[in-house]
Amino acid sequence: MSGMRARSTRREFFAKGGAILGAGVASAVGVSSAVAAGTRSGEEELMRLRRELDHAKEREAIRGVHLAFAAQIESRSYDALAELFDEGAMVNLSGVSATGKAGIRRLFAEQYREQTAAVLHCAYRPNARQSEDAVTIADDCTQATAILHVDVQLGVPLQDDCTAAQMARLQGQLADCRWESGRLEARYVKSAGEWKIASLIYPAG
Amino acid sequence: MSMRKYQRLQMHRIPYTDLTEAQMSEALRPTASGPVSRSALSNVLAGRQLRIVTDGGPVLEYRFRNARELELAENGGRPIRAGYGALEDRSLVLVSHMIPGTQRGYKLIVDQHTGLATVFEVYFSGYAPQEIAAAREAGREPQFRNGRRNREAQRRIWFGYVDRGGPAPTARHTYTNRLEGKGIYWKQDDDIEILEFYLSIIYSNFIELTRFGGELTVCAPSDYIMVNDHQFIYSRIECEFSGIFTLQVIDLFDMTERGVRLGLNEKDELEYSMYTGRGEITGQIATFEVFGNNGETRGPRRVYRPLETFEVMTDEQVRDAVLNKAHAFGDGKGSGAQGMGGYKSELVTHFAGRKLTVRMDDGGPVIEYEFVDARKLRWRYEGDSHWREAWYEMYEPDDRLYFFAHLLDAEFPRSCAMVAFDMKNGLATLVKGTTGSPFRNNETTVKYYFGVLEMEGAPTPPTYLRHGWTDEMVGECVTWNYQPGNPGLTSMHFYATPSAYSWIIFQPDGSGGMQWSSPGWYAKLRDGVYLMSWIEEACNGTLGVICFNQRTMHDAGFGYHVGSRGLSLSVIGARARHAGRFEIRKYLGLKV
Repeated sequence: MSGMRARSTRREFFAKGGAILGAGVASAVGVSSAVAAGTRSGEEELMRLRRELDHAKEREAIRGVHLAFAAQIESRSYDALAELFDEGAMVNLSGVSATGKAGIRRLFAEQYREQTAAVLHCAYRPNARQSEDAVTIADDCTQATAILHVDVQLGVPLQDDCTAAQMARLQGQLADCRWESGRLEARYVKSAGEWKIASLIYPAG
Repeated sequence: MSMRKYQRLQMHRIPYTDLTEAQMSEALRPTASGPVSRSALSNVLAGRQLRIVTDGGPVLEYRFRNARELELAENGGRPIRAGYGALEDRSLVLVSHMIPGTQRGYKLIVDQHTGLATVFEVYFSGYAPQEIAAAREAGREPQFRNGRRNREAQRRIWFGYVDRGGPAPTARHTYTNRLEGKGIYWKQDDDIEILEFYLSIIYSNFIELTRFGGELTVCAPSDYIMVNDHQFIYSRIECEFSGIFTLQVIDLFDMTERGVRLGLNEKDELEYSMYTGRGEITGQIATFEVFGNNGETRGPRRVYRPLETFEVMTDEQVRDAVLNKAHAFGDGKGSGAQGMGGYKSELVTHFAGRKLTVRMDDGGPVIEYEFVDARKLRWRYEGDSHWREAWYEMYEPDDRLYFFAHLLDAEFPRSCAMVAFDMKNGLATLVKGTTGSPFRNNETTVKYYFGVLEMEGAPTPPTYLRHGWTDEMVGECVTWNYQPGNPGLTSMHFYATPSAYSWIIFQPDGSGGMQWSSPGWYAKLRDGVYLMSWIEEACNGTLGVICFNQRTMHDAGFGYHVGSRGLSLSVIGARARHAGRFEIRKYLGLKV
């Protein structure tokens, strides 16, 4: 996102509700209004406030995309997941990667659903470093980036093909299941009025 | 010794007719008049009206004209008349009826005291639409390899209450795990005897003592619903077999049951009956959920369909696999710790350079061995000048009791030898696995041979004493953890009869999930040390043989499988926990 003029905020973004975001934004708007009151015209001030509010709205929309992603990962709604990504998107979750919406659809439909990936992301939860989350939205509101601190539930699929393993897989059973703290590095683009994920990286621990 | 009546074919071998919808309609026509029953049916509902409201399901308005005929209006629709039957257990009434001219009907469990009701809608010819819908959602072609299964009963379950005009009660009957781990012997009023085992919260297995002679146990997807601490609703559908539906109200206070059985048997004859029965608890084994998990939110009940997914191969495909794609223990590189071998013990290598002869009784194989190194041996039949080389692996499941395996000649069908030899008493047992059965090319068959060993430094074997068949393991339940990890690959074995066993796969929350069963064979090598084998007939055809040491709660074993990826001989090594035991010997005709 080089060259992008942007506004960055740090606040609990990923799993907290819109009320907290709203309060944060309202507070920021209030402070900056007081500082600027004597130096800007009323029209400029109005435009700035409108931009602030627009950004808050975009931030909420992006949050919605991420909540949808996390919910669909957890409910294993893999068919719907690809729709959250832009056509040219890339994803890399603990080293399991794909490029392009079609590739991402295949990744979730095959490697995730069939449990052939080396490791699966099964669920996300906000963690103690959530306050360090950062969301940056370009001034034109068409691009954004986010760093989201999460605990991820990592699942290692059963690799064997014996009957017991086949039956266990049918029930969603994994060889190993553990939680790990890390961060999601996301980039978004707005296309046809909708935010889509342009890239999503969870670096392998 | 049991003197029961046996069937020529067990359930998994019966070629059930793939009936059309029209044939099903015709076969079900007599159900319109209601079920038969040897016990007197209840007239408690005669003359009464019930309006049953369900959560997310139908509203059923009943007028019971008398003890055998009712009128039903579904969701305010036009009333229909049907024959029915009812049985009482304390304040519970079990009602069963079909809707004339259709392939569906209702089973009601109504609590006259609390006003709560559970409704089972049971119907036939419903598998194909479900499979087509599931295939569409998964983006695949629907599979009807084993037919359209119109004969298989389907069920929808709704919880609700009897609308008495006042506020709706908030309580409901619930799914439960409170029957999990229990076994019950039932004798019904129609003289049917059956052993039931509730080892899962979505499956059960049962031994048909009267109908099939009690040789095998079979499994069926099941539902468990709690009415209160002593009354439960249990149902099962004999999927992959006849498709018959069974529902029972179980009362653990007086160990009685009221049940209904609906469907077509193996002769395509209609069975629609209500019955009562008296039970005896055969045991209660451990369960593995965390405390506080009562199984109320169990999720969907899945159906394991091995007959549908079994990879059927032609003679030529199997010939190619066993001759050109045969691999034993990574072809000498070691079998690794994947699959069922994650806890294999230390490889025994100290026989390298030594010779062994195993001499089986009664014209069985006599095989001479030279252990070339830790993984390669030479073998020949006694009297044959030709030595063959083979990869092997050897383990020591008990002190100076060894177990090794290797492939035999590259011929079709192809066999393997698994040899247990006891350096304390000179006894040996050879288990020979061979590809192909009378039913499928890529199943295996097994044959046990008992005999002795000859080796320099080995003890002189006894003249008459041999390893031999045993029923000592009957009733035992043992969990097997095949791989490290949380939870790793883990199952539970239930050694159900002297000729069968069942395995249960745990769900992620530790509850029992899907299960299946197969024939099994049990030999005793020493006190507490057994050679157990099974063949996953009509499932994937694998032969598994484990030497199970009940003192170390560990095993050493081998798997023999032929599939499209070839023939494999691999290692099994797992850690066991004792889950409990069912006292079922007397019902199976075994010495108590």
